[in-house]
Amino acid sequence: MRSSVSYILSSTTTEPNMSHPDYEQLAHDHAALLVLVRQIGSQLKNKMFNKFYDRISRLNSVNITDSVGQVRNIYIRYVKEHPVENNLWGDFQTHRRLLGLVTFGKYDSQQELNDICRVHEQLKVKYITTLFDSRCILFGPSSDSPTEETTSSDATSSISSSTDAHSIKTTEKDLEKKELYFEENDKEVFTTPSNFKTRALFYSETDPCADLEAHLTDFLNSLFWVLESKRLERSREKLERVSLLLAPFEKKDFVGLDMESRNNKRRCTGRSTKHLGDLCLQAGLITEALTHYHNAAETLKSVNDWLWLGAAYEGLCTATALVLYPNIYRNAPLHRNSSLQEGSPKRSNSITTPILDIVKKEVPNTLPPEEISKKYREAIVHYSKYQNAGIIETEACFKAARISVEQNHPLQAASFLQNVVFINLTLSEQERIQRFETLSDLYMQIGFMRKASFCQRLAATRYVSAQNPTPNWSQCYNLMLQSFRGHKISLDPTEMMSTNVQVGWSTLQIQLLQEIVVAAKRMGHSALATRHMTFLLQTMWPYLSINDQKEFAIQLQSLSAQCEGSPVSLVLDNGTVIPPANLTNIPICAGFNLRNLQPHLRPRKIQVLKQDSGPFLFTPINFGSLERKSAKVQSKMDFFWIENDLCEVTLKLVNPLPFELKVSNMRLLTSGVVFESIPETVVLPSDTPTLVTLNGSPKESGELEVLGYSTHTLGVKSNCRLRYMKGFLPQYTIEVIPTLPTVEVKTSLPESATFSTFQNFENVVTSASLSLYNGESTQCVITIANTSQVPVEMLEVSIQSVLEPSLQDQIFKWSNDDLQKQLPLLPGNSASLTINLYSAANFLASGFNGPELSSGVFGSSHASSIMSASAGPSSLPSRLNSPVHSTMGNSFHGRRNDLNSSFRSSNSGQSSMTTTGCRSPGALTLPQHVASAVVDAQLQLRFSGGSGFQAGYCRSCSIFITLEMIPSMQVTNWDVLPAETYSQFYLVLDVANLTSQEMEVYYTPSKHMLIEGHESCRVPVPVDRCPLSKLTKFYMEQKSGLDDRLDLDKICSEHIANLVDLSWHLMSTDTRGKASLKGITLTPNMLDIVRMSPIQWEVLINDGLIKPQEEVNCVVGECLEIKVGVSNCFEKPLRQLTLSVQFYQDYQNGMQNYQLETRLAFTGTTKIILPPLEPQDKAKHACNVVFFNSGHYKMDIQCSAPECLASTPSVNTTGHIWRFLPAIEVNVN
Amino acid sequence: MAVCAAIVGKDNSPKYFACTNPDEELNFQYKVLSSLDVVEEKLNAANKGSDMRELYLGILYSLETHKIYGYVTNTKIKFIIVAESTNTALRDNEIRSMFRKLHSLRA
Repeated sequence: MRSSVSYILSSTTTEPNMSHPDYEQLAHDHAALLVLVRQIGSQLKNKMFNKFYDRISRLNSVNITDSVGQVRNIYIRYVKEHPVENNLWGDFQTHRRLLGLVTFGKYDSQQELNDICRVHEQLKVKYITTLFDSRCILFGPSSDSPTEETTSSDATSSISSSTDAHSIKTTEKDLEKKELYFEENDKEVFTTPSNFKTRALFYSETDPCADLEAHLTDFLNSLFWVLESKRLERSREKLERVSLLLAPFEKKDFVGLDMESRNNKRRCTGRSTKHLGDLCLQAGLITEALTHYHNAAETLKSVNDWLWLGAAYEGLCTATALVLYPNIYRNAPLHRNSSLQEGSPKRSNSITTPILDIVKKEVPNTLPPEEISKKYREAIVHYSKYQNAGIIETEACFKAARISVEQNHPLQAASFLQNVVFINLTLSEQERIQRFETLSDLYMQIGFMRKASFCQRLAATRYVSAQNPTPNWSQCYNLMLQSFRGHKISLDPTEMMSTNVQVGWSTLQIQLLQEIVVAAKRMGHSALATRHMTFLLQTMWPYLSINDQKEFAIQLQSLSAQCEGSPVSLVLDNGTVIPPANLTNIPICAGFNLRNLQPHLRPRKIQVLKQDSGPFLFTPINFGSLERKSAKVQSKMDFFWIENDLCEVTLKLVNPLPFELKVSNMRLLTSGVVFESIPETVVLPSDTPTLVTLNGSPKESGELEVLGYSTHTLGVKSNCRLRYMKGFLPQYTIEVIPTLPTVEVKTSLPESATFSTFQNFENVVTSASLSLYNGESTQCVITIANTSQVPVEMLEVSIQSVLEPSLQDQIFKWSNDDLQKQLPLLPGNSASLTINLYSAANFLASGFNGPELSSGVFGSSHASSIMSASAGPSSLPSRLNSPVHSTMGNSFHGRRNDLNSSFRSSNSGQSSMTTTGCRSPGALTLPQHVASAVVDAQLQLRFSGGSGFQAGYCRSCSIFITLEMIPSMQVTNWDVLPAETYSQFYLVLDVANLTSQEMEVYYTPSKHMLIEGHESCRVPVPVDRCPLSKLTKFYMEQKSGLDDRLDLDKICSEHIANLVDLSWHLMSTDTRGKASLKGITLTPNMLDIVRMSPIQWEVLINDGLIKPQEEVNCVVGECLEIKVGVSNCFEKPLRQLTLSVQFYQDYQNGMQNYQLETRLAFTGTTKIILPPLEPQDKAKHACNVVFFNSGHYKMDIQCSAPECLASTPSVNTTGHIWRFLPAIEVNVN
Repeated sequence: MAVCAAIVGKDNSPKYFACTNPDEELNFQYKVLSSLDVVEEKLNAANKGSDMRELYLGILYSLETHKIYGYVTNTKIKFIIVAESTNTALRDNEIRSMFRKLHSLRA
């Protein structure tokens, strides 16, 4: 666009050129009358002046009917400043002349009034060359009544009536008159000085000034009429005679030139015509103006008067624009609010409606729209040939650009704007800045945000450039801030971070942010500097080099030393809100986890509705569709927190900076229920993930949302919300349940060294361990102290172990009532619970019932056969499996078998059992490795209280109890023997001392025996026989099966267990214990002994009643009469009893000789089937015996039930043999 | 020869930036960024009109020292080349071929 012959036509300048560009000009201003509005004196408030200025500005066009009745639309442009130099260009473009002056002043005294008048007059003088008329609007003290109205009417009437330029003079005279008149009227108050020759409008300060507009219209009318007169004057001039009009810098060029040359004549004519065009345009005669411009252009073109040709073209363009786009007049002063974004480009305003085409056709000489910019371009090229016309060129560019904007041709506008920067002007810094600001404004309008930002940034740097004598950092700052938009920087860091894609140019963004930090700092607003630095670090973090990261972090630290950054919005004076910037990158949060409470503090439902959902905890069937798979991490926690309890959140923080970072005052950010967060301070080493736990306690129950955390690092407080951080859920929700008490639990026993891997031991709070010898019992006191502020109202104790419930109950015993009596447990109080621990074990060696022993004792051949049938299931009572810990159980069991077998072998030879206790012949080979059993159990305490209790929650904690059960005593073998008395029998026990200490065993109240460590001895314990009353059932039915026999066994075994009271005492450690024979198993043969016999014997020999243990003496050949009476002392009849009497010889070595046919002879039957015996019935049998040889004989009298007679070992085990015991010894001499 | 070349993404974010003198990179970045306004505008204008076969946008800006040329692919990836104004030897066609090469390299 620049002319290649730039500057050739202009001399180097020393001339006063127009050095005050008006960047705000519009093309339409060419048609406007320029009026200066001024404020005089300091009394009038700026605000008030601006109010009035705005009010006046609205009056930007008036319709005036001219002398021929045509309505003229006159535009007025108001300015607050007008450099007088610009008037010099008035000949070149008449709209540059200042035509009117309106001043505002306020006075309280005559002196002030005088001053105002003086200044007004001075201004008039200043612009005297161009000024047509002026007004002075004066605000007096409020008490004054406005009184100046009097003459205005005749003044206006005179103006309106005047039809020619001469009337102006009369008007001026009128004015003077009026002033005199006014003075007379208001003499007593204030008077304007006599040399004040301006029409003044007096108002009081509070006056609404309703007629201000009317007066101004008058004023504008007067301006118009003067202008009109001048125009007419001009138009009447003979074109040949006109003097040459000159632009300010041209004066020298034409000195000495022949003005009469044809060329110059044409030049004069052309310029004059152009001038006339200007006047016509101002006077509202667009058609005429266009014609004049058109003619002028023709003329000037022919004489190569480039400058004026340019002006003529510009005139043509502006006039056309006025026709085509009448609406682009300066819109009402809109104070741009930078927080209100500068709006969309002005494109929408473009008006290309058909109506305009009609208008265009009507007005001759208008240019087609697309021609405007072409002509403007031409004009600019012509201007550019003159260095001194730089301002004109610049302004033309802006005007052209604005028209292009209106035409919606952004590229065209851009090219005009681009041209502006090439124009070399000697401008003040302030003007340069204005130029950039105007540029950016226009760029903004055409939607060139980046370019606009670029210009804003340039303007900003100009404000503080070294050349600028008055650097203004705050202006610089504001412009920088405005240029954010073009750089795609949002003030809100969250917005910047939310889009994953990098939109802006990070290098430039960083540069700009750095600059704005400096600007803010220099401006003295350190809070802003800190904020922007934080923003820079936060948003630009990924684009910063490691070195920059470090550098900026250090800078931030030093900035924040002056003003700490905090997460609140900053509001600038112009209303811009700078949202908070939070540092979420320093430190980086790599993990955020809400922690469940410690197991023993976790709330549990008191009533579990559905405890067991069956063995299938996992189901492959997905109920409720596919959602489950798509559902990601749930933000709702599946556990609870408790009111007033310390709750934890763990964070994994990484310090990305190469130095140690101190993060203080870390808290949790929550919403929902009240939450008290406990501040935390951490020092993070460089680049090492560190786990940090943030604590806090909810103060209410309900839903708690954890939103993030706050930090204070590098002097900046940040609220790091998960919502704005990548890789996190926006929030975590957790249910807080009402407060529950907490307790501290202690036991009187020492703690165990280790926990076993017992399941579910996570809520174990303490432990207790002890060792007990089997049979020993002790007490454990558990102290439960309430450490909370809530009373404990519920306390439940239960024991959990893998033991069978019945055994468990034996080992652990406590009184629940005692415990409940201590409730409620108030805060600070404690309750105690006594647990009785008993080392319950099976004292009986398993695997007993070996046939050797029983056969050894009784030698009954069928016994073994009976046993063989029953031994299988009963030899290993099922109970034995459970009492001990399963891992122990097996080995223990295995050992016991070993033990047993060794016993058996050692005992196999022993057939004789004495009724008195005796030491076993030698030290038993007891295995040394008999190990103790360890029982692990958890004493579970469930407690609750307060509001949490009402809500149905409790806590549960447990005490882990390790009980080592050391083997103490064991009954390795047992048998029964008939006792001397009928009502008793002897239980013969092989008691083994499994300890290494000497043990005293008390087996009856009066009898005890010492056993060396690891030795065994046999003790007889007299026991009452099992009364028949307990056994009634078994005789009721004849056909009773195996089950019955087992039941019988059980009853008898219980009978024994109840009666036999074995207790032991370890001498060295003084420990005592009891052993129970629970679970003792008995063979059928034994059972017969154990049970009371249903048959009562009455044996008479030689009519003498035989008592137990009694011996009978006789001589060889003597006949002994044996009478046996059998009575049924049972409750039901006994049938088919066989009574037999038999003699045998006991060799005392296990052999019994029944083959005595050669040694004795019976008379009468030795075997008889008795008739059915009714209860209490008695049957008698008598026989005689004669001994042939002397010796010891034994008489075996027995009564057997029928089944026993079957010689084959039958499955029927109900067969019984009742003997008369003990066998009667007969000594034959 | 060009002094600076840039590839700009669809969303006007920089994808690649290179210039002969690294010290001036910032300046060039400003220039290229500003030129994007023109590119956008040209694209807007082109969209309204006929379908754009021509990828070459021609000169975007001519500054006192540099000229900026633009080229847009069908996927709205922009190529920008900055050449020195003094380099009058550089013809439009050469710029075109430079862009084509750049395009094929990029592709």
